[in-house]
Amino acid sequence: MDNSVKIMPKAIVCEESVLRGDITISPGCIIHTSATIIAECGPIILGENCIVEEYATIINKNASEEAEAGGNALIIGTNNVFEVGCHVQAKKIGENNIFECKSYVSPAVSVSSGCVIGAGCRLLAAQTLPEHTVIYSKNCLQRDAMEKQSQALQIESLRKILPNYHHLKKATFDAKKIRGQV
Amino acid sequence: MEILDTYYSRDEYVETASGNKVSRQTVLCGSQNIVLNGKVIVQSGAIIRGDLANVRTGRYCIISKGAVIRPPFKQFSKGVAFFPLHIGDHVFVGEGAIVSAASVGSYVYIGKNAVIGRRCVLKDCCIIEDGAILPPETTVASFMRYTAAGTIEGGQGNPDHVPPAMQDQMVDFTKSFYEHFRSNA
Repeated sequence: MDNSVKIMPKAIVCEESVLRGDITISPGCIIHTSATIIAECGPIILGENCIVEEYATIINKNASEEAEAGGNALIIGTNNVFEVGCHVQAKKIGENNIFECKSYVSPAVSVSSGCVIGAGCRLLAAQTLPEHTVIYSKNCLQRDAMEKQSQALQIESLRKILPNYHHLKKATFDAKKIRGQV
Repeated sequence: MEILDTYYSRDEYVETASGNKVSRQTVLCGSQNIVLNGKVIVQSGAIIRGDLANVRTGRYCIISKGAVIRPPFKQFSKGVAFFPLHIGDHVFVGEGAIVSAASVGSYVYIGKNAVIGRRCVLKDCCIIEDGAILPPETTVASFMRYTAAGTIEGGQGNPDHVPPAMQDQMVDFTKSFYEHFRSNA
């Protein structure tokens, strides 16, 4: 597996995180220590302002034929939060989703936008989550989200705190330089 | 209650002057903000996030493999604040547990793979079962048991949900765990 990790400027990626394969990390993302992102079956593109916490695991497992026809990249939208110990292998992830502690999302699931996967919930069967779905409790019940939440403020404070305490991976991709070459 | 000796390799663990035994395979962020008050065991793979806020543990705490101790945050209209996390004496945190509580009392048992949500308050002598998931801002009172099914059991006239003499048992358990956690050299 080739390791071509593209880290855009302004992303905060801790040195101790595990990044394998073809990964693009957009500006404003925060990757905590000991987070794992593995682009196993295709590239992973992480949208802007995502937070990936400790022991969170994101794996691209898009190996099916239909996925290959349409490109097998795992494209993750903006403003997603992957909390401690979550394990996400979803086909597709939209915007503003929260994957809470120790949740699991199988490769058969695609997640739209504004969803919350509750702590400890496991999504196994093939399905597409409609927008603003909340999965909660032991039995993985579903309901519609009533409130909107954003983690923009959290990102802001993390962006102030983390550089003081951690060694960060350097940005490896500068959009300005590319423009200069053309 | 007698616990079998568990051995660790001398190279892996650091023993401090106050008797803390901390594995080298842990992630202690912001170590200047972490206070371990003596005779605390932190096993491999555990993460303590001192960079977010202060973390203080009492004596004879056991933080097992892969546990994550993470100070909670609260969102205000203007920005987010992280709160310090205090853990009392004789607390056991099981393997793979995630503790994001505001405070944890003394003599508390937190089971394997339990998730303690943001800003929970665990009072003295309570039990969190293996795999239990506490929603954010839950309070578990003294001598209560939070079950894996998500209910709080115990209360007046219902004394059998924590073992009798819970305090003494936790003291014995954590002390003998510490004493039987020996280096193999």
